[in-house]
Amino acid sequence: MQVFKLCMKIFKKNLPVMTIYFGVFIIISIIMMTNSRPAEQAGFIQSKVSIVVFSNESSPLVDGMKEVLSDVAVFVEMEEDETLIQDSLYFRRIAYVLRVPDGFTEDFLSGKEPKLAKTSVPGSTNGIYIDMRLEQYLNTANLYVRGIPGIDAETLNAYTLEDLDYETPVEMQRADQRFGVEGMMQYYFNYLAYTLMYVVIMGISTIMLVFNDLNIKRRSSCAPISPGKVTLQFYLATLLFSLISWFVLVSLSLVFSRNELAGSNTPGFIINSFVFASSTTSIGFLIGNLVRGREAISAVANVFTLGSCFISGVFVPQAILSDSVLKMASLFPTFWYVSGNSQIAVSADFTESLIIQIGFAVAFFVLALVVGKKKRMAIEN
Amino acid sequence: MFRHIFAYRLKVLLRDKTMIFWTMIFPIALATFFNLAFGGLGESGSFNVIDVALVETQPNPQFMSVLDMMTAGETPLFALQKVTAPRGETLLADGHVAGIITVSESMSLKVNQSGIRQSILKVFLDRYAHTTRTAGRIAAEDPQVLMEMDFTPVVFTEERPVSHAEMDIKLSYFYALIAMACFYGSFFGMEEVNLIQANLSKRAARLNMAPLHKLKAFLYSSLASYSILIVEMMLLMAYLVLILKIDFGNQIGWVIFTIFVGSLTGISFGGFIASMVKGDENVKTGLLIGATMAGSFLAGMMFQNVKHLVQLKAPILQYLNPVNLLADAFYALYFFNTCKRYLINIAGLLVFAVVFAGSTYLVVRRRKYASV
Repeated sequence: MQVFKLCMKIFKKNLPVMTIYFGVFIIISIIMMTNSRPAEQAGFIQSKVSIVVFSNESSPLVDGMKEVLSDVAVFVEMEEDETLIQDSLYFRRIAYVLRVPDGFTEDFLSGKEPKLAKTSVPGSTNGIYIDMRLEQYLNTANLYVRGIPGIDAETLNAYTLEDLDYETPVEMQRADQRFGVEGMMQYYFNYLAYTLMYVVIMGISTIMLVFNDLNIKRRSSCAPISPGKVTLQFYLATLLFSLISWFVLVSLSLVFSRNELAGSNTPGFIINSFVFASSTTSIGFLIGNLVRGREAISAVANVFTLGSCFISGVFVPQAILSDSVLKMASLFPTFWYVSGNSQIAVSADFTESLIIQIGFAVAFFVLALVVGKKKRMAIEN
Repeated sequence: MFRHIFAYRLKVLLRDKTMIFWTMIFPIALATFFNLAFGGLGESGSFNVIDVALVETQPNPQFMSVLDMMTAGETPLFALQKVTAPRGETLLADGHVAGIITVSESMSLKVNQSGIRQSILKVFLDRYAHTTRTAGRIAAEDPQVLMEMDFTPVVFTEERPVSHAEMDIKLSYFYALIAMACFYGSFFGMEEVNLIQANLSKRAARLNMAPLHKLKAFLYSSLASYSILIVEMMLLMAYLVLILKIDFGNQIGWVIFTIFVGSLTGISFGGFIASMVKGDENVKTGLLIGATMAGSFLAGMMFQNVKHLVQLKAPILQYLNPVNLLADAFYALYFFNTCKRYLINIAGLLVFAVVFAGSTYLVVRRRKYASV
């Protein structure tokens, strides 16, 4: 088992670098955890939008307006600082800024139809939503101003609020339905793809780099071990490495999503990631056989993993990606791994995704063997 | 002497494939991935017509005429399908419509999820019901007034945009990416210091024996690095603007000026790390990548909200992070009508460049070695 032992030694030497990649995965996962969406609600809940209202006036009209808006909006306190407002709008922390001009109430009551100044992200759904509610309040009040001349502010406010009190009955199609409940486990397993690919490709290529050095290759082919045995031990070692990486990353994912462990989907995620690890190992072999030089390997590994992860929906949900991008992505096992995960999340059948990944694993492996054989026959590097 | 050093340095650098890869090819590849991944992101929050199934159990011509108003015109709010009740259920279950409106004396709504589109449907129905009640109350006071009243909605708000520019969230990723690319230029700076300090490389030991002013040699060869970085950045920009069609506004001259300043800060940052940090090249490279990545992360390259979070929670950090200063300079140039914020960013970058270059100078100058 000389070859196997040697491989283990090389792995040990590269341990610090590998630890960094695992660290990156943990950090990304923690960030995603803090960004995770709030728990889903059962039944129909009206959406609330964050808005800012600037007003120097306090009249029944303005107070009533705020009261009506509070059904659909959360008021955010903010300094009147243009830069801050714009940044908050750009980063979608708030969706709507409303400014009540001085003398608004007076002008309104005398039927002048004054205007409120609003600032929102142009064309956003949230903005339209607030608009509808706001215009409804002001229009109702305006009808009273015109329909009942001389109406005083308090009565106006009371009438308007009473009218707006009615709510349309809303029924859910299935009362027990839960919405958008993709648990977080799916996401942790998706991110795992990035780290796993990177670590496995880098690890395998690093060993191959050592073995493929011309002088070392020549020296080892003089050794009294058959080439078949060398290859076998070599594969065993890399397989062990992939398995350990897979095991570490899956354990981490499971730790992060520990409150979903009891779910029926957990075994599915584990099986899917295992199959993905096998196809990644094959890709690692292929890249290790194709590329020369340490710098070149890290370049290829970076671009390949980042690229396939971006277009396959590891970082950005597949739903957002365009069809042509997804078509391109379907040429990578990562795509099938991610779609497998989303099928598992809704307890759908994911055998197709599994089979395609296995197909990729076999195809890349055979390709790697062919390339490796050709390389071995070459006289020079 | 200038021409000699400059020209040969250019040749050497251009043959360094690894360097060219990380400073040019990698950012271009990353930009391509961003574009593929975020291509659909700009539209995700914008408004689309809402599909609705309509089931009439009782005729209500008044409501129908209002609904017709909402589906006609240049910007219709709803797309209607008049169907039977069971068909409506199927459409809703398959996700073809956002909700079912059942029309009788009063309306009711059936949905299968709580979202903004469903909420808009509800607000619309509420609104109809509210106006009906208002009309009833006015009629009770004076039916005559009601007959003459105009129910056309009045618009009580007017848009006051904060900026002339589109609020495309995708842009902040690209700004951070350009900033990262500028700071990858720090590899050039590190290389320059390694090649001038006799204890760091053999070439530098040789160079220190030459009858040549060290500072001049350093400046000339750094200028070669700077030129290459600028050319690379221009290629990256050309790729972004011409091929990926990223909009940088109409102040392209200032954008290019910003890149010149950013690249300068990037290179001097590399020199600073190389001269300040004791250790072999791997440690320094690791430190450079780590610092650049951490800076890009805080400038919002991985998740755009991080930049805003820093702004709110730790405002001082946005000025201490040169990558953010650079990304923010592009952002300010594109979104703000005043140039105050842009100038603050540029000033910050220049201060960093002076500090980095100054410290490098103090370390590099007048070094004498008894043996190396």
